[in-house]
Amino acid sequence: MLQNYPASSFYDEMMADAESTRPHYEKFHRILQQMTEEELHEKHETAQLNFLRQGITFTVYHKDGGTERTMPFDLVPIIIPPDQWETIERGAKQRVRALNHFLEDVYNGKKILEDGIIPREFVENNQYYFEQQAGGLSLPHKNHIYLAGIDLIRDNEGTYRVLEDNLRNPSGMSYVFQNRFVMRKVFPEFFFEHDICTLEHQMSHLHQALLSHVPENSKNPQAPTAVLQTPGMYNSAYYDHVFLAQQMGIELIEGQDLLIKDHVVYMKTVRGLQRVDIIYRRIDDEFLDPKEFREDSALGVPGLVEACRRGNVSIVNSVGNGVADDKAVYAFVPDMIRYYLEEEPILPNVDTYFLRDEKTREDVLSRLPELVIKNVGASGGYDMLIGPQASPEEIERFRKKIQETPEQYIAQPTIQLSRAPAFQEQRFYPCHVDLRVYAVGSDDVHVLPGGLSRVALKEGSLVVNSSQGGGGKDTWVLRKGGSEHA
Amino acid sequence: MLSRVASSLFWMARNVERAESNARVLESRLINALETSEYGAVAVSDWETVLDICASTEEYRTMYDACEPKDIAYYISFHRYNINSILNCMENARNNARSIRDIIPEELWETLNAHYLTMQDEDYKTWSIRRVHRFLQEIKTFSYTMQGIVESCMLREEAYHFIKIGKWLERAEKTSRVLNVVCEKTKEAEELTQTSHYYYWLSALQFLNGHDAYLKRFPPTMEPSQVLSFLISYEQFPRSIEYCMEHVREGVMKLEDGKVSHYSEELFNALDHVTNEFMKIKFQKISTEEIGPFLDRFQNDCNRISYLFAGTYYFV
Repeated sequence: MLQNYPASSFYDEMMADAESTRPHYEKFHRILQQMTEEELHEKHETAQLNFLRQGITFTVYHKDGGTERTMPFDLVPIIIPPDQWETIERGAKQRVRALNHFLEDVYNGKKILEDGIIPREFVENNQYYFEQQAGGLSLPHKNHIYLAGIDLIRDNEGTYRVLEDNLRNPSGMSYVFQNRFVMRKVFPEFFFEHDICTLEHQMSHLHQALLSHVPENSKNPQAPTAVLQTPGMYNSAYYDHVFLAQQMGIELIEGQDLLIKDHVVYMKTVRGLQRVDIIYRRIDDEFLDPKEFREDSALGVPGLVEACRRGNVSIVNSVGNGVADDKAVYAFVPDMIRYYLEEEPILPNVDTYFLRDEKTREDVLSRLPELVIKNVGASGGYDMLIGPQASPEEIERFRKKIQETPEQYIAQPTIQLSRAPAFQEQRFYPCHVDLRVYAVGSDDVHVLPGGLSRVALKEGSLVVNSSQGGGGKDTWVLRKGGSEHA
Repeated sequence: MLSRVASSLFWMARNVERAESNARVLESRLINALETSEYGAVAVSDWETVLDICASTEEYRTMYDACEPKDIAYYISFHRYNINSILNCMENARNNARSIRDIIPEELWETLNAHYLTMQDEDYKTWSIRRVHRFLQEIKTFSYTMQGIVESCMLREEAYHFIKIGKWLERAEKTSRVLNVVCEKTKEAEELTQTSHYYYWLSALQFLNGHDAYLKRFPPTMEPSQVLSFLISYEQFPRSIEYCMEHVREGVMKLEDGKVSHYSEELFNALDHVTNEFMKIKFQKISTEEIGPFLDRFQNDCNRISYLFAGTYYFV
């Protein structure tokens, strides 16, 4: 079935070379080969339909509003052996701990800037640095990051590298669970022979961590009321919000459901007002509170940040996290780890060049066709140039952009993202993948076993974002002590 | 429960109920149109009846010149500008459901969503009357399925009661609307021909799915006063106004645990008022002249109850 699967210089998750699979994929491969192509196709269709019927969708915005789409599901899972997972897990925890120290520091004292570890302007001129709003907030457990989504890629040696830290509203966790759910339903035969870390009970970690963010003045610290705030059903990640609220058993609310009286936050219920202690918000800082941020925000609640300041409510993830997951600040995370934790980084970064430096800029401009250029403020695969795949016009367009606002862009070498087989349109072909792992916590950080494997289903494409046509795969972390030859 | 959520539950149920009743009214008119071959004034007036019940003739006239069955069927079923078109009602219901999908049973959401997705794939511009028939049948079946899911899966808690109250209020209002329009049409026809027109009363029974039931209880003659009391206050008929309002009251009672408190007092008073009005019509025969104003008053009362209901539970 995987005959004619092209071998190449890319690292392949499943195949060691054209003939042989990697040891931890052997069982999977064997079972796969017992299925006929029709059978696979049928199962593939069933899986897609499942997502559609259940309305597991995200919204793609365009000029006429939004269209709901399901994320295409690919049946070949990403399998991770226990020792590799352990590295990822330790690395992610380390990173989140350092980033949390950083956030606490830049909003209370700025020691790291005084010590010259990070150039001051990178923080203070950052569009997501909200000193006025978030400076001096006293947070429960001094915790800024309740949920982080760390994007990892593997280079052509198979080394995991961090591509991005998402510390604001990382989405996609619902897909982790739904991919597994659908996979179990459609391909039960795979699960009999594999010893996979289960996703059950993960929600209780999430719930417990959320409830630990009890604000100072809570009237009910033993059983605080937590809610999840969504911008509403037209938001691209609305399904994610529904899923998380439902699984944690907390109220899914919109800004219009909240009301602030005497700096205390209440939600409007059919029985009157009910006090709210913890808000897991899935709405951007800029829209959170029209008194502190954008005045025209209809999604926000006036006075929310002040209520937080007075210790009447906790907002998680905390206000102002964007300064730490910026693409420019990203380059300094290894330094943060050394500075705050006095440890060596477990997961390496991808090399990052700053274009404001003239010499680097000249060098980068001369090598545009081989580099990736990213806007430090953009996400979701927007405003980015992938040199090797770009047309000469595109390259010229970016050259101009860089010359106009060099501080807005960074450059990275084109990473030979690893590939894995995907089964679409009745055939297998190699597609580039990445992995988003979810770290959740307050005092302790817990990493969900697995995560969301995203796959660039368009052949040859390096962009895995769902808004750009990427799909999802189930991610299996094999249990320790089980056979490594899964 | 959040007020916004309660409001969405209420409106989801109302939208589905509205889609179902509009489907039934249009369907029975389409079938009648096949049987009565005469065209002209009567036929036009018959179609106006349907428009007045399901939408608004006035609004229709701003878009179309003539009362052609095909145009009307399209207008009531699919037209985007008709806020009460079945398609719009279903889409509203689906959006209501989507904003509260963590509250309602998964199966309810999936059924509603599946229906919505099928509708998305249709090309309405090229639809034939025959396809419309099938569509109306599908809407009715969908509504029954949804009610079945609600009855068989939902905890008898707040969410359930808000759904039920939405359905019963919508149904009561629809019955009063049918009666109002039919009364009006009968009066016009009688003035025109100086004879009694039982034909419209028969339609009223058909529009409300009560013809078979009526025939079982009453002789096969269309006596207006009998039809009226059947549709207004026959306790065993699930679309009679009294039956529906009784259930609205029961739902509110369940929500309030059988107690009248200061914030729900006004709502209970309004419900009592409506019940008293029924007593009048039950025990003292109302003449056909009096019935018009009675129905107008009742429709106002219904609106008032909707309004008070929203106020009691802080709907936005």
